[in-house]
Amino acid sequence: MAYVQQPFSAGATVPVSAGIGLRSPHYEDVLETRPDVGWFEVHSENYFGKGGAPLTYLERIREDYPVSLHGVGMSLGSVDVLDVQHLGKLKGLIKRVEPGLVSEHLSWSSFDGNYLNDLAPLPYTLETLLHLVDRLAQVQNYLGRQILVENPSSYLEYEYSTYQECEFLNELSRRSGCGILLDVNNVFVSCHNHGWNAFEYLQGIPAERVGEIHLAGHTLNRVSGQAILIDTHNRPVCGEVWELYQTALQHLGAKPTLIEWDTDIPSLQTLVAEAHQADSFMEVSYERAA
Amino acid sequence: MNGLHDTQRRFASFVLRDRGQVQAQAQTVVGIKANGLEPEQRMAIYRNNTRLGLTEALRDGYPVVNRLVGAEFFNYLAKSYIQPYPPKSGCLLSFGEQFAEFIADFQPAEGLPYLPDTAKLEWLWHEAFHEGHETELDISALATIDPNLYDELGFTLHPSARFLASDYPVLRIWQLNQADTLGDERINLDEGGCRLLIFRPNLEVEIIPLNDSEYLFLTLLESKLSLTQAVEQVYLKNAIFDLPASLQHWVANGLLTNFYFI
Repeated sequence: MAYVQQPFSAGATVPVSAGIGLRSPHYEDVLETRPDVGWFEVHSENYFGKGGAPLTYLERIREDYPVSLHGVGMSLGSVDVLDVQHLGKLKGLIKRVEPGLVSEHLSWSSFDGNYLNDLAPLPYTLETLLHLVDRLAQVQNYLGRQILVENPSSYLEYEYSTYQECEFLNELSRRSGCGILLDVNNVFVSCHNHGWNAFEYLQGIPAERVGEIHLAGHTLNRVSGQAILIDTHNRPVCGEVWELYQTALQHLGAKPTLIEWDTDIPSLQTLVAEAHQADSFMEVSYERAA
Repeated sequence: MNGLHDTQRRFASFVLRDRGQVQAQAQTVVGIKANGLEPEQRMAIYRNNTRLGLTEALRDGYPVVNRLVGAEFFNYLAKSYIQPYPPKSGCLLSFGEQFAEFIADFQPAEGLPYLPDTAKLEWLWHEAFHEGHETELDISALATIDPNLYDELGFTLHPSARFLASDYPVLRIWQLNQADTLGDERINLDEGGCRLLIFRPNLEVEIIPLNDSEYLFLTLLESKLSLTQAVEQVYLKNAIFDLPASLQHWVANGLLTNFYFI
């Protein structure tokens, strides 16, 4: 049977409020309890199948909530040719769920057709910048819309980088027309790992280009006695990241903010409580601005 | 040397190979800031994340294999699998497709002869889970077909339908190793094999044991034989087969979703 698109009752636009990552253990719970959150975000690739429970639940939830599609596998920065099959599936999914936002990462994850399933760091050079501008032109033309590009967590820096990350992201957004998904936890993690200044990083991000903020939990690992923060998405947002989020709100103004939690997934209520925390910080930022 | 292509080639080579192979290749780690650690230690964080991520993705798809061999052996199995069969797409839905065949040739797992078919069953379940939807066939439409055309009549099966024939009782193995199964019921491998239909009529995947006649009949329909040809072959093997009842049953439960003329 041909798939017939029914109009969704909820609009597509992702509101300037907190949303949560939709994960399969919560499908039923979301439909039954209709939690008080502004929107949901999903990992696009988890819905690249032809049908079944994932797409059915996503469409049911989309009925009542705006949705954002967050990609983890496009391998935007790779020197491999863009995977047209991947882009085709993403375009089909966009048509099907009418997302308010579509995002990807400032990273690469494949070489010679082999995928790492991880977000590998890019050297921030002019060559990389021009490569990404070209890739984003292809992607945004094909999808017929702007996408947001997210700053990654990283555990190494290349000696031959010639831009700072925030500077690079800023320039990429200006040249390609992409928006920025600012992951405040990733800013915190990368700044810690490389000794960058998180406040300077935030100052380097142009407020008008930021379309979304991510918040998540990370884990401290020790390598030869040195503390390295790893972006694990397996625990609550920590106090220092909440503080940095408040600083970001002062600089950027309120933005749609996502609570991301991908492993050791807690109850839906826990995620909703984190989202309400973000909402309350956004309220404060409105009051300050007023 | 420090272009984007070389950077990614070196990085992928380090991350996807194991430690011994990497040490054999000098020049893998260049141009990385030490910043208090050895550059190799920084690269090793990525190798570890990649391996961990792919191992967990494989474990998610093969929970029964994981339960049968234990988490530690599964980690070893996954590590060995990832090297020859890394994902070929940024979407992991097709990652793990060769796991059953890999296990069949994996010497350390030789003592568990039922493991490859168990893995195969889990993969077919996974495929059925993500397959497309199809509406049921209206059984009254069958009654309108002129019986003289049965020679040319074929049936389309639901897109999620998969078949598995095993010499081992893999359905019972699968059932007794679900996360919510309690108790320590034993399975005697001598109880024999099984023939299974894996199929998702709606949102839940079902695994349905079939007798020899039904298995033969349905797999022949799936391979595009006409109804008459399929039935003839079934009767050659086994005289006990109630065609009208079988057709009615598989139409009613949504397995046969349409018919066509060859």
